[in-house]
Amino acid sequence: MIKIRMPLFITRHVLLALILGGVAGIGFMIFLTEFDHFTSTEAFCTNCHSMELVAEPYRESVHFRPASGVRASCGDCHVSEGVFAATWDHFIGGKDLYNQIFGPNYDDPVIAKLHMPEAAFSAREWFKKRNSATCKRCHVKEAIYGSRPDTVEIHKQDAKDKSCIECHYNLVHAKVPAESVFKRDEWNRMVELEFDLKRGAADKLLEE
Amino acid sequence: MRNVRITRWYLHLLFFAFPLWLGAINISFADKVSLDPSNWGLEEGEACISCHKKSSAGLTHQWQSSAHASAGVNCLDCHYADQVDKDAIEHEGSIIATIVSPKDCGRCHTREYKETEGSVHSKALSLIKNRIPALADNLTGQEMVTAGCAKCHGSKVEVRGDGSLSPNSWPNTGIGRINPDGSRGSCSACHGRHSFSKAQARDPSACVWCHSGPESPDGEVFDSSKHGMLFAANREKMNLHSDDWVLGKDYSAAPTCVTCHMGATPGVKASHDVGMRDAWNLNQPISEKQSLIIFEDGDRRELPESQPVPRRGNEISKLDGSMGKVKAVASSKRRRQIMSKVCLECHSKGFANGFMKQFDNVVELYNEKFGKPAQAIMLALYEMNLLTPAPFDDPLEFTYWRLWHDEGTRARHGAAMMSPNFTWWEGMHLVGQNFYGEFLPQVRELAGAEKADKLINEHVLSLDEHSWLKNPSKPNPILGYGIGKPSHD
Repeated sequence: MIKIRMPLFITRHVLLALILGGVAGIGFMIFLTEFDHFTSTEAFCTNCHSMELVAEPYRESVHFRPASGVRASCGDCHVSEGVFAATWDHFIGGKDLYNQIFGPNYDDPVIAKLHMPEAAFSAREWFKKRNSATCKRCHVKEAIYGSRPDTVEIHKQDAKDKSCIECHYNLVHAKVPAESVFKRDEWNRMVELEFDLKRGAADKLLEE
Repeated sequence: MRNVRITRWYLHLLFFAFPLWLGAINISFADKVSLDPSNWGLEEGEACISCHKKSSAGLTHQWQSSAHASAGVNCLDCHYADQVDKDAIEHEGSIIATIVSPKDCGRCHTREYKETEGSVHSKALSLIKNRIPALADNLTGQEMVTAGCAKCHGSKVEVRGDGSLSPNSWPNTGIGRINPDGSRGSCSACHGRHSFSKAQARDPSACVWCHSGPESPDGEVFDSSKHGMLFAANREKMNLHSDDWVLGKDYSAAPTCVTCHMGATPGVKASHDVGMRDAWNLNQPISEKQSLIIFEDGDRRELPESQPVPRRGNEISKLDGSMGKVKAVASSKRRRQIMSKVCLECHSKGFANGFMKQFDNVVELYNEKFGKPAQAIMLALYEMNLLTPAPFDDPLEFTYWRLWHDEGTRARHGAAMMSPNFTWWEGMHLVGQNFYGEFLPQVRELAGAEKADKLINEHVLSLDEHSWLKNPSKPNPILGYGIGKPSHD
C-alpha cells in the first residue's frame, strides 16, 4: 500500500473543506451552465408577456423555421457563448426584469411598440460591439452561398471587413429603422394608426 | 430718306434677328447640364458599384452604359439623402433614399425640373383626384387605384413610421406622383431607369405606356396616322441618339410625340412642359379652348377661354387652391401658333392651317351636335331627380360616360393627330351610334315619353344638325332598302 505523505498543513479538516469546496464549485458551475441554458430558452423568455410580443414576429421569421430545421432560440442570438460571458449577459439582462416590474407597462402592446426602437438600437449596438459573435455560432461568412450566383463573392469581397449586423438587421423582429434615420414622430404616428389611437396619444403615453 | 430706311433696317435686325440668334443658341445647348462636374461623383458612391454589380447586375449594367456613368455620376449622387428626409434609410453605411424625385434630378437638371413641375404632367394625380372615388370606390376597388390609376397618374407616396414605403403607393413611376419630399412627378415615367436614355424617351413608346386606351388613345392614333406610318418605316433614320434633336437639322424622317409636343424646331425651344402647345382640352364632356396661365413662381395652369382672362399681376387660384400672381398668359391662339411652327418645318402654311381647320371642325361638331345636347339632358335628368347624384347606378350614366369619355375622346384625339380610323370608325361613328341608338332611347325609357320628348325637342330636335330625324321618309341604300329611290339629299 502506497502511503501518500500529505503536507502537515493538510489536516483532516482542511481536506474535508477542499473536497466539499470542490464539489460545491463543480456543482455551482453545473448550476450556472444549466441556468444559462434554461434562461436562454424561448419558453423562459416569454414568461413575461412583453417578450411574447417580441416573439410573435420571430415565429414568422426564417430563424424560427428555416428549411434546415436549425432553429435559433432567443439565447442563441442574444446570449454570449461561454458560461462566464453568458452569466454576465444574464446578469445585465436582469435590468429588463427590473424594468418589467417597476418600469412602464410593457405588457401593453402599444407601450411595447412605442419603446421598441430603443430596445432595437441597443440590441444592434450589442451585436456590433461583439462583431456579431452570436451570429457566427451558426453562420460562416465564407460558406454563405445564397440563392444568387454572386452572393458568395459579395460576402468574400464587399463584406470582407464587415460583421453580419452591419448589413443584416430587421430580420427577425418588427421592422425598426436605423437609429441614424429614426424619426420618433413618424414612429408614434404609425403606432397610433396601427392601434387606432387619437393623434398625439402616443406622445402622451411615452411621457407617462 | 434712304439713310432712314437703312437705320430702320438695322433696328429691325437688332430687335428681331438678334433674339432669334440667341434663341438658336438656346436650342443647341438647352438640354445640357451647365454645372461644374465637381458637383457630382461622390466618393462614397463608388463603393456601391462593386456590390451592385453582383447583387443587381441588370440595373448596374443599365447605369454603366448610360450618359450618367460616362459623366461620372454614380449611385449616391442621385440616391443621396439627408438624415432628416422623410424617406431616408440607412443602407450599408450610407444614408440614401430609394425614390429619386424630380427635385433630386433637378439638382443638376434644373430647367427640366422647373418645366415639368409647372406642367400638366406633374399634376396628373391632382387633376383626377375627384374622379377617383367614382371609378375606384364605387365601380371597382381601392386595389385598382394602386395597380391602375396611379400607375400613370402617380401615387401619393406613403412613408411608414418604420421607414418602409407602403406597397399601396410604391413601386410607382406615375408622372404626377407626389413624392415624400413634396415634389410632383417622376422623371422615370418617361426616362426608364437606370439608363435614362434620351433616345428611349424620344421614342413614342415612352408616351404610349400611358397614352393608350380610351382616355387618351394617342398611341393607337399615332400608329394609324401618316406620321406614325412614316416613323415605323423610317425608325433608323430618326437619329434618336443624337445629342441635339432639332427638327429639320438633326432629323426629318418623321415626327414623334416629342417632336410636336415638346421638341425643338428652329425658332421653337424644346420644353418639358408637355401641354404647353395644346390649344384645346380634348378630355372633357365638352371641349374648350384654353389659355395657359404662367405664374410668377413658374407654376402654370389651364384656364378655359370662356372665363375672363386675367392680366399680368392679377391673383388667381392655382390648381392646389392657393393663390398665385400671374406673370403671363398664353392664349390658345398663341399656343396654336407655336404648335403650327413645328408643322411648318415640313408643311406649307396653307397645308398646316387647312389641317388645323379640319381638326377644329371635328371638335366643334362633336361639341355642338353631341357633347352639349347630351350634357344638357343629363343635367336636366339630375335636376328632375330622375337620376340619383351617384354616378354609375343607372345604365344611362354608363352610356353617357362612354359617349364623351371613350368614343368622344377617340374622335377628338383622332382628329388632332390625323388618324382617319380613330376620327371616324373608332370615334365619331360610335358617338353617333351611341347618341341615336342608345343614349336617346335610354333617356326615353328613364324619363317616360312626355318628359323625354320635351327634353329631346328642346336640346336635340331644335338643332339643324339633327333635322334629318324630322324627315323619316327619305331613304338611303346603305341598309339595302330604297335602292333606286331618290336618295337623302
